[in-house]
Amino acid sequence: MSDTILELENVVGGYGRITILNGASFKVKRGAITTVIGPNGAGKSTVFKAIFGLLNLSSGTIRYDGRDITRWPPRKLLEAGIVYVPQGRNIFPELSVRHNLEFGAVAAGPHITDMEARIEAALDRFPALRQKADVQASTLSGGQQKQLEIMRGLLLDPKLILIDEPSIGLSPLMVQETFGILKELRNKGVTILMVEQNARSALEISDEGLVLETGRARLQGPARDILNDPRVAQLFLGGAMAEAS
Amino acid sequence: MAEFIAYLIAGLATGAIYALAAIGFTLVWQTSQTINFAQGEFVMLPAILILALVKLAGAPFWLAAVLGVALFIALFGWGFKITIVDPMIRHGVLPLAIATMALAIIMKEGAKDGFSAEAQSFPSLLPAQTLSFMGISISLQHIAIIVVACVAIGGLQWFVTRTRTGRQMQAAAQNPGVALILGIPVARMVMLTFLINAGLAALASVLISPIYLAKFSNGEVIGLFAFIAAIVGGFNQVRGALAGGLIVGVIDSLAAAYVSTSYRLAVPLVLLVIIILVKPEGLFGRKEERRV
Repeated sequence: MSDTILELENVVGGYGRITILNGASFKVKRGAITTVIGPNGAGKSTVFKAIFGLLNLSSGTIRYDGRDITRWPPRKLLEAGIVYVPQGRNIFPELSVRHNLEFGAVAAGPHITDMEARIEAALDRFPALRQKADVQASTLSGGQQKQLEIMRGLLLDPKLILIDEPSIGLSPLMVQETFGILKELRNKGVTILMVEQNARSALEISDEGLVLETGRARLQGPARDILNDPRVAQLFLGGAMAEAS
Repeated sequence: MAEFIAYLIAGLATGAIYALAAIGFTLVWQTSQTINFAQGEFVMLPAILILALVKLAGAPFWLAAVLGVALFIALFGWGFKITIVDPMIRHGVLPLAIATMALAIIMKEGAKDGFSAEAQSFPSLLPAQTLSFMGISISLQHIAIIVVACVAIGGLQWFVTRTRTGRQMQAAAQNPGVALILGIPVARMVMLTFLINAGLAALASVLISPIYLAKFSNGEVIGLFAFIAAIVGGFNQVRGALAGGLIVGVIDSLAAAYVSTSYRLAVPLVLLVIIILVKPEGLFGRKEERRV
């Protein structure tokens, strides 16, 4: 099995006539947490949309486990073991917690036999979710809603999780708890690709770091190196990054 | 008192028809932002199609009913979605709404020119009998309409909340972006609501036509009242549309009896104005919330 689970090669794309990704190329290490950082507008969230088939790509290739998955629709990517947890709240507030979780198994089709067991296991993982299993998901706190979303994404045991700004709007305690879940998943062999505004704490729990600027990968390496790189500090102070050698 | 109860039941029966139309109306609004101003004509046409199959093709009534309803769902569920809604919604909610107004006129005039300008009798499944109960005379047909409509709406509610497909339909309506990333077949779910809308309209048509006769102009009042019912109920809730339909039906029936038959049409509109002024989100609606 190759060390690389996901590879982007010269990906160009954007919204309408606006190009956001200008030839993004990088590799994602299997079984690691990789955090993508970069200034606003660098195309961090857009990279996820490109991988997940939600963006118009004008050129480039995306490979997953050796297969070309460029322009695959979300359903097919889910079947292949990739899930996407976007920024913000992405649950259905009027449906029960249990029914929200159930949506995590949509890609398995109607014939999945052990869905109930999977939902029970997910509920057992979090007492707060168990307690509110059959009431509207809107009654959960913001952090609990994010946890529900992550558990929903895990229902079919994905191999790769794309998670965008999981800490946004959460209390520091909830952030630590959420990062804890991600570390636990990594320890079970799941690959995590994360975008985080909260760069320092995200890099601290990450194995790899990736710096994105103006739609291109400018720097990649072990998270610790990225954290200590003076050019990265400069980048986050607002200045343009010096040409990486 | 006996008279009042009789009017009340008649009002609930027509209200059930408005509710069927209003529920379909809110369903297609929720999933595709379609404001279907031809909704009344959607209720008018199936009965005409069935009669046309009987009179022009000589089909027995039951066969004409099955074929007519199937043909209507194909043309005004699937066909409506792909030929009018899909091309127009790209240009916005308003151009699509105006296109449905044009469709309403075409359906109405088409039914008049293509079939008949006269009101036609439409066979009823039940005899036009009245039951007398404690001095109150109640039409058997009215009772049948209420029962059938309630069963249909109950079945729909069961489907939407108790089945996986129904919940996926709700998800596609509430947040299509998230539904898509979960692998829910959003386009298929939206199409499903259009088929359900056509089915509800066809049911309403078959239920109401024995009483009001099948006529090309029937859609005018039904469409207006279904629209009012949807707004009164909150526009985005099935149970709201149900309550709205029944309220409008009862108010209309009582207004015709106790206010004036010439002003009856105005009374539900006054109700609409009051609701918009006092509770703009409707009786069951949520205040629209937008989060970035």
